[in-house]
Amino acid sequence: MNRRDFVRNMCYGGIATWALPRVSFAQVGQTGRLVFVLLRGGFDGLAAVVPYGDPSYRALRGTFAFSESELTPLDETFGLAPGLSPLRPLWDANELAVLHAMAIPHRTRSHFDGQAILETGLDHPVGSSDGWLNRLLQVMSGRRAGIAIAAGMPLSLTGAFEVESWSPTKLGVVDDAFLERLAVLYRSDAALQGRFEAALQQQNLVGEEPMSGGNARRGGITPLMQAAARILRQEQGPNIAAMEFSGWDTHANQGMAGGALDRLLGQLAEGLVTFRTEMGPAWQTTSVVVMTEFGRTARPNGTRGTDHGTAGAGFILGPRLSRAHVIADWPGLAEGALYEGRDLKPTLDTRAALKTVLAGTFDLTASQLERVFPNSAGAGAIAKLMA
Amino acid sequence: MNVTLRALNRFGLGARQGERQRISDARGWLKAQLEAGAPTLRATESTSPTAIADAVRALRMPGQRDEQERREARRRLVELAASEARAALDVRVTSDRPFVERLVTFWSNHLCVSSGAKILVAPLAGSYERDVIRPHVLGRFEDMVLASAKHPAMLAYLDNFQSIGPSSPGARAGQRNNGAKRGLNENYARELLELHTLGVNGGYAQQDVQELARILTGWTIAGIPGPGARIQPRPNTRGRGVVRQARPQQDGPLGFAFQEFLHEPGEKTVLKQRYKEAGAAEGERAIRALCGHPSTAKFVATKLATHFISDDPSPAAVDRLARAFRSSEGDLKAVALAIVDEPDAWREDARKFRTPQDWFVAVLRAFGSMEVNPNAPVVLRQLRQPLWAPPSPKGFGDTMQEWADPDSLLNRGELARTISRLPSVAAVDPRSLVDVVDVPAGNPLHTLIADASIPARERVALAIAGPAFQWR
Repeated sequence: MNRRDFVRNMCYGGIATWALPRVSFAQVGQTGRLVFVLLRGGFDGLAAVVPYGDPSYRALRGTFAFSESELTPLDETFGLAPGLSPLRPLWDANELAVLHAMAIPHRTRSHFDGQAILETGLDHPVGSSDGWLNRLLQVMSGRRAGIAIAAGMPLSLTGAFEVESWSPTKLGVVDDAFLERLAVLYRSDAALQGRFEAALQQQNLVGEEPMSGGNARRGGITPLMQAAARILRQEQGPNIAAMEFSGWDTHANQGMAGGALDRLLGQLAEGLVTFRTEMGPAWQTTSVVVMTEFGRTARPNGTRGTDHGTAGAGFILGPRLSRAHVIADWPGLAEGALYEGRDLKPTLDTRAALKTVLAGTFDLTASQLERVFPNSAGAGAIAKLMA
Repeated sequence: MNVTLRALNRFGLGARQGERQRISDARGWLKAQLEAGAPTLRATESTSPTAIADAVRALRMPGQRDEQERREARRRLVELAASEARAALDVRVTSDRPFVERLVTFWSNHLCVSSGAKILVAPLAGSYERDVIRPHVLGRFEDMVLASAKHPAMLAYLDNFQSIGPSSPGARAGQRNNGAKRGLNENYARELLELHTLGVNGGYAQQDVQELARILTGWTIAGIPGPGARIQPRPNTRGRGVVRQARPQQDGPLGFAFQEFLHEPGEKTVLKQRYKEAGAAEGERAIRALCGHPSTAKFVATKLATHFISDDPSPAAVDRLARAFRSSEGDLKAVALAIVDEPDAWREDARKFRTPQDWFVAVLRAFGSMEVNPNAPVVLRQLRQPLWAPPSPKGFGDTMQEWADPDSLLNRGELARTISRLPSVAAVDPRSLVDVVDVPAGNPLHTLIADASIPARERVALAIAGPAFQWR
């Protein structure tokens, strides 16, 4: 008996006395799934969603300027960087929206503060705050279950509401006999037995079948997205997930087509496309949001990279979008239009985008959204973005 | 419930083999540990002030070095951080005063710094625990907070060393020179109020944060170039004399330096208390006042009760600890005694889930390890609780909610199996592991541990991965 069989028997009838999982999924099976992907490090929105039609673009980006022929054009102003070209089918299917000139509501060039603001969903730093995904789970109490698919518990999911977790970090090889005995021990502990069973179930869902992009245990965006889909596509399981990828802090040698950043963008695009495929029919009820703590400087720096900036780009994916969009109240890249003379100026609040996605994915009242994002009345929803 | 095991596991860092039989008076054993003075730990040659200063300067001034020197500096930094971590873990595993060592871990987390957020903290974190936490863990709270405020690790971690009074001579000189905006950084002042003293609902306003940040301007790190380094003071041609200031030395050990020329001049008001212009003394007075605030007693008592009693301690227990804190004016030894005397901490139904560090240290103590495996810091990172690298200034969480997630339980199971395969574990008798935690009669662990058909190493893994070992 391999681990899958063992877990299946144990969880689905092999042991009659097996207690129910600690989260009652009875009400959770409602439609609506959300994945929040945080690109840690501040990814370069201008290198990902390229404003090739902006008259100042070429002069400003200098050696970093892409030529139009390298891009996947979205409209007459913006095109996707070469690495993101796998997203083209989603754009054509009206399942991709690009958010640009977007920033968190608090001005900072610190990763630490920026990520904290984005993950707490507040408009100023509060070190002791819960994450906004956890507050979302609280306001929809009992109707949704959350899971961190990450090596650590992202701040966005931490808080009073109990969440699940699955990570590719595996600390050793365990055989079925050991797990079976351990499961027997956990059955003697009422507070922990459901948790241990949930871990075995997730392990089972992710499975031991080969991953298309390599081994999930060794990380990488695609295998992790694939693992996420296997957990999230279940009818009665976690349906709000936080994921995170790092490597976006490109101070040096960020490169052009085929360079370091572009390869990472390629992995991200491939991961998102794989996720969509792997979700199967469950994709129809899913929204994915990709965000970062800040954009990068409009001009290249002296080490062929870019430094911490202000506004940047993000993505919304999923069939709940009304159509393919570029959402950008574009401030332009003219000298006088830059924030503090150096960064893309913010014209869109991350919370406005998040609130719009939440409203389009779940049934939430305005006051519930306000509880998820306190003091965000000024960041109104984006009209006509979601169907 | 076994009272001795409660003392060893709840208050201490995990029972060692045979210890349970040697202790006759659990509370007396705990109280005696408080009598032997501060739990000092000596720096070694590899963690000397010079080694630390070199590592910090290599990070802070990388431009002056060629590639080979940079590689060498990185190597030394990794070595320094590893020695510090090993020394700190060694003492947790081998200490005969485990209650005091638990207090060290508690206060170190309460006033945490994090190398996860700032690489500059990595070479300083060991010294921070050794020089800020340990000397005061049985002393006065305000002395500990003040030492924390002045330590280079905290000054770097929460950016205070870069905070400049907007009307200070340094800010004006900086604007003349390069036009760059320099000014107040509120990070440290905010966390000092929110996380170290009054607590988030402790009754302060944003105005207090800003005023406190003004008071703390000019508190910088001696021994490295600070924010004033690129400002060229120049003779004032309009006849108001020469702008002079003492610059911190850029060699020698690191430390605290008050730089008057970055300090915001004038009177400030925090929590309705006015502070006349007094240079560094302003900040010292303000910090002592915050530590003596009634909200601080309540906030600190709540955290202590959550750590030593349960995830949801009764208001009465919190009040009792807050009273001990207030009446002793923040004497942490008196507070520690009050915790031992706190009836709720000995209640049968109050369990605490072991954090990953707690669990790992308890395993090593149960094994009778005399030294920590060099991989320990890596293991703690994989268990999501790397030493001195919490995800935020709030520190690591202290409740079951934060640590008993499904993946973590499975991780402990997997790691337990890996540990059980180590050569040194051959000497561990699985039966001894049922003795160091409270396992009720009739629990299946008794049967499994006695089952000779299961390999001994697997039984060791089952004992430390099973639920009984996850609680303290």
